Amino acid sequence: MIPIICLVFLFLSQAFPQKDSSGYFNINSPSNIKKFADYLFCADDYLRAATEYEKYLSSYYNDTVEFKIGLSYSKISNYSKALKWFNKINNNSVFFADAGNEYFKSLFQLGNYYDFRRYYQENKIKNKDKIRNADKLFYFSYFFTEDELPPEVDFLKPFNSKESNKINEFYKRKINPPYKSTAAAIIMSALIPGSGKIYTGQVGDGIITAIATGLCGYLAYDNFDAEHNFRGWVFSCLAVFFYAGNVYGSAASAQIYNAGIRFDFQNDIKLYLNRQNYFTSKYDFCK
Amino acid sequence: MTFVNKIFYYFLFVSLIVLLFNSNSFPQNELPKQLKVQFDFAKELFNNEEYFDAITELKRLLFFDKQNEYSYSANELIGESYKMGAKFSEAVQYFTIAAIHSTNNEELFNSKIEIIRVNILRRTINRALILLDSLDSDKRFSDNKDDINYWRGWAYIFNDEWGKASQEFNRISPDNELKKISEEVENNKYSVTKARIFSFIIPGAGQFYTQNYISGILSFGWNLLWGYITINSFVKNRIFDGVVVGELLWLRFYRGNLQNAGRFAEEKNREISNKALKFLQFNYNGLKP
Repeated sequence: MIPIICLVFLFLSQAFPQKDSSGYFNINSPSNIKKFADYLFCADDYLRAATEYEKYLSSYYNDTVEFKIGLSYSKISNYSKALKWFNKINNNSVFFADAGNEYFKSLFQLGNYYDFRRYYQENKIKNKDKIRNADKLFYFSYFFTEDELPPEVDFLKPFNSKESNKINEFYKRKINPPYKSTAAAIIMSALIPGSGKIYTGQVGDGIITAIATGLCGYLAYDNFDAEHNFRGWVFSCLAVFFYAGNVYGSAASAQIYNAGIRFDFQNDIKLYLNRQNYFTSKYDFCK
Repeated sequence: MTFVNKIFYYFLFVSLIVLLFNSNSFPQNELPKQLKVQFDFAKELFNNEEYFDAITELKRLLFFDKQNEYSYSANELIGESYKMGAKFSEAVQYFTIAAIHSTNNEELFNSKIEIIRVNILRRTINRALILLDSLDSDKRFSDNKDDINYWRGWAYIFNDEWGKASQEFNRISPDNELKKISEEVENNKYSVTKARIFSFIIPGAGQFYTQNYISGILSFGWNLLWGYITINSFVKNRIFDGVVVGELLWLRFYRGNLQNAGRFAEEKNREISNKALKFLQFNYNGLKP
């Protein structure tokens, strides 16, 4: 009997060498892939971490890993992939609520504001301690679309008194953007050269245009009057050129001004959002 | 128990002991082999220009290399991979780590030179020159003066200072190929000051000097026309006309002519430099940043 037991032991020890079961010595074993992915995740090398986690998931199911893949893609601003991974977390997982919130934030970051609002209104936000930011982001989304803004009282509700002043300012800027009328700029410049540019805030340009057009016009008149026809025509052409440029330039200036207003508004909101850390969530994955 | 049985048990016992010893010591013997295989695999990826994967595998190697056997070579190769992917800041970071883990002066020198090469490539030339000066004053690298001069020459080439580059290559050898190329480029360049002076004396002449003939003719024509009208106005006692045309038109074209001449010379010089850099990129077989 003893020889048989010994032989069986000998056979088993050959058939199942320790290196496979321990996993440590095969650097490409699933457990080592996960260890390496965890290291990459904590070293902020998120794209590689996500790739390694995905490799690990081809061997084992792990909801933490799925969630971390979503977070990794979110960290590198690949929100469409992040959405896919957060969406995969099923409702039995402990990360279900967090995944929902991250999904919500990713929709916002992706600029998919309609889905974002629908998701919010369907009350899918599970994590109660983070609900305040969700409310804020919901209202912020209206600043990025052309939809009608909710009433001011509702809009300001989720914000504390410190934030309210700034949000109120944004709200007013959205309702009444300080645009300049292109038509008004054209008419003003047609009547008084340069005045359209002054109206759109380009005072220096406006004054120079007025002087150049006026001077060329005067010189054309004066030369024709003195019967210097050649010079008269030269200055007439210059005057027409300056006049047409002044009208066209005023229209362009009004449009550039309005584009600047829109750009500044969105930029100010994005800066404000980044400063307020509405998107930052803290997880204890890297201790 | 028969003698045969005793022999059998003795043999079995010894086998088990050997096996037990083996199964304990196996991982320690196996790991270096695996790390070597991993390093070779990463190197192969690097050679196949799969730099992202090469970096991943090298990082994996470093993660499992608890004895720091590959700390220098893997970090050096990660730096190379980042450099090939034009991630210059990361490349410098990993070359610096490689320098920290270097085990001899040769490795240290190589890492520092790699950092300098990245600085040349990303055109932080001042930083490259400071690092070269520090290598130059380091007694450990007194045998590497030619290398230092060589990379200093390249730094000057990338800084568009071909004359200085030529001097650096001349220190290595008066027959140095790069010295001749740099010298030729320096000689072929146009003088911006000369172009401006020519245009100052005769409008359009600077443009002719830089071979922009049409621009030269136009510049000369405009200046002639507005100059004539200005002078004619003064001659006919229309002082106001003369001042306005002279100031708003003639002087404007004259100033434009001067600026143009300088700009054309600068553009031509850029073309000459770029052509030379392209030539070096594709036809020069020596080491390049």
